Amino acid sequence: MSAATIGAKAIVPARPERSAGVWATAWRRLRNDRVGMVSLAIVIAFVLLIIASALGLVAKDWQKEIGVPNAPPTFVGPRVEEATKDPLASLVAKDAKPVDLSDIDPLAPKYKEWSERAAKIQIADPPRAQTLAFGADRLGRDVLSKAVKGAEISIFVGLFAAVVATLIGTVLGALAGYVGGKLGDFLEWVYNVFTSIPDILLIFAFAAVLGRGIGTVVMILGLAGWTGMYRQVRAEYIKHRTREYVRAAEAIGVTHAQRMFVHILPNVSHVILVRMSLLVVGFIKAEVILSFLGLGVPVDQVSWGTMLSEAQAELVLGNWWQLAAATLFMAVFVTAFSLLTDALRDALDPKLR
Amino acid sequence: MGNLVSVRDLRVSFRLGKSHVVDAVRGISFDIPENSAVALVGESGSGKSVSAMSIVRLLPENAIVSADSRIEFGGRNLLTEPIEVLRDIRGKDITVVFQEPMSSLNPVFTVGDQIAEVLQLHRGLSRRQSMERVVELLNEVGIPDPRPRLASYPHELSGGQQQRVMIAIAIACEPKLLIADEPTTALDVTVQRQILELIANLRAKFKMSVLFISHDLALVGEIADQVVVMREGVVRENDSVVRIFSQPKDPYTLALLACRPRLDAKPRRLPVIDDFLSADGTTSLAPVVLALAAEIRQARPPEPVPIVEARGLRKEYRLKTGLFARKQIDAVKDASFGLARGRTLGVVGESGSGKTTVGMLLMRLVQPTAGQVLFEGKDLLALSDAALMAYRRRIQIIFQNPYASLNPRFTVGQILTEPMRVHGIGDSDDERFAMAVALARRVGLPPDCIHKYPHEFSGGQRQRIAIARVLSMRPEVIICDESVSALDVSVQATVLNLLLDLQDEFAISYLFISHDLAVVKYMADDILVMSQGAIVERGPSEAIYEAPQHEYTKKLLAAIPRGFQRVPA
Amino acid sequence: MAAYILRRLWQMIPTLAGVILLVFFLFKFFGGDPAEILGGLLATPDQIEAIRTQLGLNEPWYVQLGIFLKSIFTFKWGNSWTTSEAVSNIFATRLPATLTVMTPILLLDVVLGVTAAMAVAYVRGSLTDRTIMVITTIMLSISFLVYIIVGQWLFGFYLGWFPVQGWSDSVLTNLTTYVVLPVALAVFVSLAPQTRLYRSFFLDELGQDYVRTARAKGVSENRVLFKHVLRNALIPVLTNVSVQLPGIFVGSFLIETFFSIPGLGREVLLAVNRSDYPVIQAVTVYLAVLTMVINLVADVLYRTVDPRVVLK
Repeated sequence: MSAATIGAKAIVPARPERSAGVWATAWRRLRNDRVGMVSLAIVIAFVLLIIASALGLVAKDWQKEIGVPNAPPTFVGPRVEEATKDPLASLVAKDAKPVDLSDIDPLAPKYKEWSERAAKIQIADPPRAQTLAFGADRLGRDVLSKAVKGAEISIFVGLFAAVVATLIGTVLGALAGYVGGKLGDFLEWVYNVFTSIPDILLIFAFAAVLGRGIGTVVMILGLAGWTGMYRQVRAEYIKHRTREYVRAAEAIGVTHAQRMFVHILPNVSHVILVRMSLLVVGFIKAEVILSFLGLGVPVDQVSWGTMLSEAQAELVLGNWWQLAAATLFMAVFVTAFSLLTDALRDALDPKLR
Repeated sequence: MGNLVSVRDLRVSFRLGKSHVVDAVRGISFDIPENSAVALVGESGSGKSVSAMSIVRLLPENAIVSADSRIEFGGRNLLTEPIEVLRDIRGKDITVVFQEPMSSLNPVFTVGDQIAEVLQLHRGLSRRQSMERVVELLNEVGIPDPRPRLASYPHELSGGQQQRVMIAIAIACEPKLLIADEPTTALDVTVQRQILELIANLRAKFKMSVLFISHDLALVGEIADQVVVMREGVVRENDSVVRIFSQPKDPYTLALLACRPRLDAKPRRLPVIDDFLSADGTTSLAPVVLALAAEIRQARPPEPVPIVEARGLRKEYRLKTGLFARKQIDAVKDASFGLARGRTLGVVGESGSGKTTVGMLLMRLVQPTAGQVLFEGKDLLALSDAALMAYRRRIQIIFQNPYASLNPRFTVGQILTEPMRVHGIGDSDDERFAMAVALARRVGLPPDCIHKYPHEFSGGQRQRIAIARVLSMRPEVIICDESVSALDVSVQATVLNLLLDLQDEFAISYLFISHDLAVVKYMADDILVMSQGAIVERGPSEAIYEAPQHEYTKKLLAAIPRGFQRVPA
Repeated sequence: MAAYILRRLWQMIPTLAGVILLVFFLFKFFGGDPAEILGGLLATPDQIEAIRTQLGLNEPWYVQLGIFLKSIFTFKWGNSWTTSEAVSNIFATRLPATLTVMTPILLLDVVLGVTAAMAVAYVRGSLTDRTIMVITTIMLSISFLVYIIVGQWLFGFYLGWFPVQGWSDSVLTNLTTYVVLPVALAVFVSLAPQTRLYRSFFLDELGQDYVRTARAKGVSENRVLFKHVLRNALIPVLTNVSVQLPGIFVGSFLIETFFSIPGLGREVLLAVNRSDYPVIQAVTVYLAVLTMVINLVADVLYRTVDPRVVLK
């Protein structure tokens, strides 16, 4: 074997323009997709908003009752106070004077003392606003702040629950798909157990025992929602483990772990990303329903779901703005995120390879 | 005889993405006379399928056909007629047989229903009447015991039978023209011959014309009257089959004829397309081929002790078929053979013969049920995983599919340096990259390929990358598992030449597995013929081809398309 | 076939065992003390201890598991901790209401979904197709809650066309009066996701080789879609329906809560809010069994829809 030929030192060409890998090519495709870019901008705007909210830069005082209860939004105008038609007014004579009860009123001597004392106390009660940017709820809290804070909670829960579900599903799916055998059978059994129970019921069961709270909701949704990711990752790993490039790696002597994570995982990552985006949307919607039912965030937090639960009663009275705010914020974000996911999937079209 | 179909100045492009348009067919013209067989020959990307499909306007939605193109049939321009007219012609006057019979048949309808549909559609037969006709048709295409077959589903039939069903659908209404788009490419060699004969017989019987599309000139030479050679969207040559084979004018045609390994000669090196296509596109064949043919390849004399020896290799698969029943499939039955240093052992067989499994067993990519693989006396199958690592370097494999054997997310540099890193070759990453560049150059790739991704290369180039990867470990034995089967004819020749050069330089032993008998005969010094898991015949390659002993070997040799293989004067 | 069914029933056992174990340990180790919940806020420690003994909570865990198993197989779950109604009775009385609401929803879902998807697939690639896709995306981004709230307000309160709550003993009255609004809303909401999903099934099938063969035979586009493609697309539709089917029993909980329909879903929700363990546990286990049975039936039905399926 002539070692001289192969081992000869050759000059490695410099790396001028780095050839585009899958992600760079995908990014280029995404850039050309107008709908995708607009959706991306909206999603980024929301993310910045909720970071600002989490840091306390905006919507910090959402709990303060700064408005008149059920104050309408500014663009609608303040509630016109109709002259309260007191039904009893017709019964009262026009120039009737109040009856003086001082001689039989046991508290009469104290009134003067009390009004003197009251005059000394200053209550700095700022006047309640007649209208707020997006109106006020029944307690007078600013709906816009609530919507922003609710966004923070709902999106946060959606994202983190998706991450949890993705981690569990990916690791288990990779093991089940690649290793197979007894481990695969065991994981399939776990999967069957979890999927035998309808999703909502599983969430309810977890909620019943684990209680409320943001962290709890993240865990509940993650534990109930990993099965879809597991199924897909497992299918991908089964498909790839017999592919020739993996066989070639085995022939070279690459270890199992390297094959699983260095060779196969990069080829599956785009599938995982798209699926995770779908999970985010699903989990946000689930969190909203949970909070609506009182099973999600604790009482002292606000979520789009709690806003909707208040909105039901408000609508009958004709106060539509909290419903509109929650729906609008949620619709814009979820639509943008869904369109972004679609654009991402098109950009990552495997025919690139 | 008049012309049945006339294609004039056909131009077809495809729109990919917003502003990206690719020209597939760039202005071709040819005629299909009545009652004749015309072959459309070309490699991948030649535009032959697109041209044929244009006749019945079965193009994908993003296809753009030029307004100046004309396809005349029965006095009408099929490209401009309303779609209802086309639908009337399809299935009745002009019919199609596709390449992949399994996916071309509807999986949820019975065979009988699918054939009957054309009869009901175009002949207005009732269901009962059409079923009677279907039985006749199934007989016609050679399906034994046709009546019960009416209720069969496509997946219950073999590939060859499925293709016969497709042909039955195509001839049901006695068409004037049958377009056969690579109908035998997906089938085994022996079945291929049967289908070819069937088409030829039906053609004679119904006096219909056949437009036969293929990449295999030798195959086409057996049944065609006229051959149209296409390359990259244009017609290179269009002539009677006799003249194409005896006096080819176009250099590309010459190249196609010459690049295929021949059964009667073993030149030192196969001619490649570039030998024929000079800058002005004209070269005379004679001096090139004569020069190459003069030098006969010499095989290395065999050493007494083989470098790799397989003893009693067996692989059984057990499948669960019922509640407690098991079925046993013997993929490889008791294979024993030896591979000498610096020589090539060919393994030939059809699908299901076990030839690929044998290669996998030698590499321990598949665990054998029994047997030994002795590498310089040491049994590889008994080694622990750690001990096996030392041997992994010395025996390697090149797979069939160049599109699947390279990790799409690795750069070529990463692909080539990974084996070095695993086996501790080279002291630093820089040194390894330098070695990778040298390897790339050795296999004929430009040095800047190091930073590129596999999808930027053609099939032939990817196979070279795979060869370079294997070479980085300096193996002594390389298993070539159908390594050139997925490549175009012209590219095959270049890769085969490369493999032979490397063998001369490094004394590598090859286990050359293939279903392509001509290629195996050319590459191998000794041959094993396998059928259904067993080695049915073995011997030096000349002996096998000149005097086959076993029935199966004879059948296999008889199925090789011979075409008109004549060396031009 | 019999061998296949037997084999599947045999395979259900470990899954069922897993579900039982999951429910048991989930409630045992994460749930609150059942004795305290049952006793209520005003119970004395003695009373709580008495309840604990009665429930067998002082026994080792495997004995408790045994009690749990016994209640599953004898269908005796005792009574609801809040209403003291026998759990089995709860099942029996609430199930019909759920079915009255959910069966029409499921049927209309599939029929309308398939029809809409075929229509969209027919005009694929056109402006209509893309517009509908955008509309469905937006529709999907609005929470189900909003649809119900607005729907109830609009049709029940403002226009007064339907009652917002109520139930009767007569199935016919229920179907014509009380069920109409909830069913209409639920079907409207699910139209968007179902159309998208089924559309993708149709488009996948349209890209298959056999469609090209059909066209080569001269089959018209209508026939290709309605005969060749539809038949094949029914396979993933069946999968989808069989996956959704178990969910309808509990998935109706939102509708039942909003419209005060005395169904199983609403019952489970009430139980969750009140930590009424026996109800939740019973529903979970029995629905798991139901899911497995439905899967088995679906797999057997596959054989009639997809001839390639081999039931081993």
